[in-house]
Amino acid sequence: MKTVSLTGIFMFAILGIAKLRPEASVTMQKELQDVAHVGSVMLDGDVCQKIVTEQAKGFLFATDPRDRFLAGDNYDVDDVAFNAVKKTLTRLSHLASFPADVNLWMPIEGHPGKIQLVIRNRNEMSQFWSWGELYGDMLPQMETVLKTGRRVAVARKPGWISVLAPIHNSLGDVVGLIEAVSQVKVDAHENVK
Amino acid sequence: MSSAVLMRRLQAQFVFLFLIVTYSQVLLAADLDALPEFLRSDPFGAIVAPDRSGADLASSLYGAKHQVVLTGCRGGYVSFHLVVKPPSPSTFTLDVTIPDPTNKVQIDLFREWFHFTDSDKRYYPDALIPVHATYSSRLPEPDNRIPKQTAQAFWVDVYVAPDTRLGIFSGTAKLKANSKITTLPIQLTVLACVIPGEDVVTIDHNSYGSSWLAQQFAGSYQRNSDDWFESNQFFELIHAYHRVFYEHRGIFHQLGYGHSGKVGPEFAPVLEGAGRAKHITSWGLYDRHYGPLFDGTAFSASRRGPRPIPFVYLPINPEWPASYEFWGERGYEAEFVNVVSEMERHFREKGWTHTNFEVFFNHKKRYKGFPWDGDEVRFPKDLKYFIEYGRLLKEALPADTPVHFLFRADVSWDMEQQFKVLNGVVKLWCAGGGILSLYKDAPEMLRNRGDVIWYYGGPPSVTDSSTAITEFSLRAWLWGVNGYVHWLTVSPGEDPWFHFDGGQTALIYSGERFGVREPIPSIRLKIQRNCLQDLALLDSLKRRKSLDSLRARAARSYNNSVLDDWWNSRPALADLPSDQWLGSAIDDATKHTQQALGHPGASAWYKVHQYAMSLQAEAK
Repeated sequence: MKTVSLTGIFMFAILGIAKLRPEASVTMQKELQDVAHVGSVMLDGDVCQKIVTEQAKGFLFATDPRDRFLAGDNYDVDDVAFNAVKKTLTRLSHLASFPADVNLWMPIEGHPGKIQLVIRNRNEMSQFWSWGELYGDMLPQMETVLKTGRRVAVARKPGWISVLAPIHNSLGDVVGLIEAVSQVKVDAHENVK
Repeated sequence: MSSAVLMRRLQAQFVFLFLIVTYSQVLLAADLDALPEFLRSDPFGAIVAPDRSGADLASSLYGAKHQVVLTGCRGGYVSFHLVVKPPSPSTFTLDVTIPDPTNKVQIDLFREWFHFTDSDKRYYPDALIPVHATYSSRLPEPDNRIPKQTAQAFWVDVYVAPDTRLGIFSGTAKLKANSKITTLPIQLTVLACVIPGEDVVTIDHNSYGSSWLAQQFAGSYQRNSDDWFESNQFFELIHAYHRVFYEHRGIFHQLGYGHSGKVGPEFAPVLEGAGRAKHITSWGLYDRHYGPLFDGTAFSASRRGPRPIPFVYLPINPEWPASYEFWGERGYEAEFVNVVSEMERHFREKGWTHTNFEVFFNHKKRYKGFPWDGDEVRFPKDLKYFIEYGRLLKEALPADTPVHFLFRADVSWDMEQQFKVLNGVVKLWCAGGGILSLYKDAPEMLRNRGDVIWYYGGPPSVTDSSTAITEFSLRAWLWGVNGYVHWLTVSPGEDPWFHFDGGQTALIYSGERFGVREPIPSIRLKIQRNCLQDLALLDSLKRRKSLDSLRARAARSYNNSVLDDWWNSRPALADLPSDQWLGSAIDDATKHTQQALGHPGASAWYKVHQYAMSLQAEAK
C-alpha cells in the first residue's frame, strides 16, 4: 500500500513538472533541489519547534460562534526563534539564481493529517498555502517527506515548482519541512494585499 | 349681475381651474416622481424595505404646487431621486434642467443600477451610471435585465458653485413616454451660506494593492496585458479613483505591500545593493503614480480644485527598504536609514510637503511573514518593534525636514497601552471603533498632544437603511476624532450586477461595462458626501453655539440619543493584559451603545440636515 502511494506521488510530481517549460523545469528544479538539500542540513529543527507558542497551539482549533477570529487572534510566536529561522530561510533563497522563497511548514501535534505554514517570505510564493489560513490539510507529498525524510518535487499549479525537504531535530526526528518554491513567470502584483 | 357677484363667479371659476391644473399635475406626476435622497425606489416603483421607516418623507420634496422644492447652500450639492414610471413598457426620454446662464448651477444625472442581492432575493439601487441630462432608453432597461421592471430611478445631483448668486432658480424634469409629456417643475433656492471646503472629519476609503484594477477593468487590461501595469491608462485609472473620492469629500488609500513584505512596483522606488550600499536607482513608476497626487494636478479638472492628497501610505514594512534577514544588525539600520533619507530628500526637492507620508505596518503574525503584529497589536511584547522603528525613523530624517513623515498605527486590543507606551512615536492612530468606545477621554487626550486619531469600520450593506452610512461620519464628529476609515471600499465582489453580496467592501464600482473608463460612484457614497456637507456646516457654527450643544442637538435629531449613548464605560476587562481578552467579551463590553443607538431609520439624517438648515436660517 505504501509503495503504491509513493509511486503515485512520484508520478504526480513528474507529470506536474512536465507542465513547466522544459528548459525552465530542468534548471529551476535542479536549483531548488540544491536549495532544499542545503536547507535540510542548515535548519535547526529544535528551534523550529519552539516558534509557535503554547497559547497559539491551544487555540489553533478552538471555535466560538460569537468569535470567528478566536484562533487567529490568539496566534502567537516566539520572535527570537522565528527570526533566527527566517533569516536562514531568506539566505537559503539567495542560493537560487531566480526569485525564490523558502517557507517553513510544521505538522501539528495531536492532529495527524493537518499541517501549518509557520514562516513565509518576501516573494509571497507558495503552492500550498491558501491565503489567510492558519492550518490546512497535509498533502500526500508533505506526508511522504515527513515519513521518509526524502525530498519531493511538486508542480501542482501551471508554471510553479516546489521542492519539499525534511527538517531534523537533535534527536534525528523529522519535525517539519521546507518548501523551496518559485514560478516561471513571477507576477509582481500577486499577493500585494 | 353685480360686479361683486361677477367677481365671486370668476373667483370660483379660477379656483376650479386651479384645482384641475393641480390635480392633473398630481396625476401626470405619477409617471415621474421625485423622492428625497433617503428613499430608494426598487425597479417596480416601491420604496425598498429598509427605507420604508422614512416613508413619511415621500412628499417632503414637493411644494404646494407639486413642484420639486430644493434648498441648498453654496459650494455643495443638493440631491434627490427621480423615478420614471410609465404606465406601460415603452421607450422614454428624461430631461432634467435648471437653466443658469452663469453655469454656476449644474446638474449631474445618474441612472441607478438595480443590484439583485442573493441574500434576500431583492433589488436595491446603488451603482450610479453617469448619463447625459437628456437620457433616452426603454423599460425594462435592457442591460439591467429585470423581468417586468416598471420603474427606473435616477439620482440627481444639483451642484451649486460657491459663487452662485443667491435666489431662486427654476427648472424642470420632463419625461416623454408613449408620446405623452410629463413635466415636473423644479425650484431651487440658493441660500447665502457657503459649505466649508474643509471637512471636520476625514473620511478615508481604503484598498489593498492594485491587482483588483486589472480584474475590474478587464477589457482595458486584456488589450495590453504585458505592459498594462506600467501604462498611462493604469496610472490615470488610479488617479480617477482618488478623484472620485475627493469629489465626494473623501480620501483614498492604496496599501502597496503584502503581509510578507512584497512591494508592488508602482508603490516604491527601485532599490539596488545591500547593507551600506543599498540605494534607490529609479523613481520612474513611483513618480508617475504619485507625482500628480502629491502636487494636486490629478485634481485640476475637479470642482473642488487641485489639492495635494493629504495622506498616503509609504511602502515601508519590515522587509522594505531594509531586508529582514538583517533585522537587529547594523546592516538593517544602514539600509533603512540610507533609503528613507533618500526618500525624504526626493520629496523635499519635489516640493511634496503638503502630504502626510505614513509609516504603517499592516502585517499580522497570523499571516506568517513576521513574528510581531504591526496591525492591531494584541500581545504587548510586540511594541518593542514599534519603538525600534521610531528610533530608525528619527535617525533617517533631518530634524527640520519640511516633509511630513507620520508614524501610523492601527490599534484595537491594546490601544490603551499603546497610547501610553508609544507616545511620541506614533502620531496617527487608527482605532477600532468598538474598543475606542470604551475610552471616552482618549480622543481629546490624543488631539491635545498633537496626534491624529481616526477610527475604522466598514461600509454598510445596500440592504441596510439608506441612512446607515451617515452613522460613521456623525460618530466621528460626536466623538471628537479626526476621521473615519472604511477598511475596504473597492471590492464589490465577483458579480455585483446580478448576484450582489451587498457591498460591505465597496462604495464605488467599475464603470467599464457602461463604457466609462473610470470608477463610478454609489448612492451610499453620495449620501455620505451630503452628510459631510452638513457636518461641515454644523461645525462652522461653533463660534455662535457651543460645539457640545451642536453635537447634542444633532444626536437627538438623528436617533433621539444623548451624547453619552455613543460611549461605553471602561469595563473591568480593560485592566487585564490585552492578550487575555476574548472577542466575545468585547461584544459584551460594547453592548450599551449597540442597544442605545439601534439602527437609525431612513429619516434620521434628514432630521439632522433640517437642523443644520434651520441654523443657517437663524444665522441669516
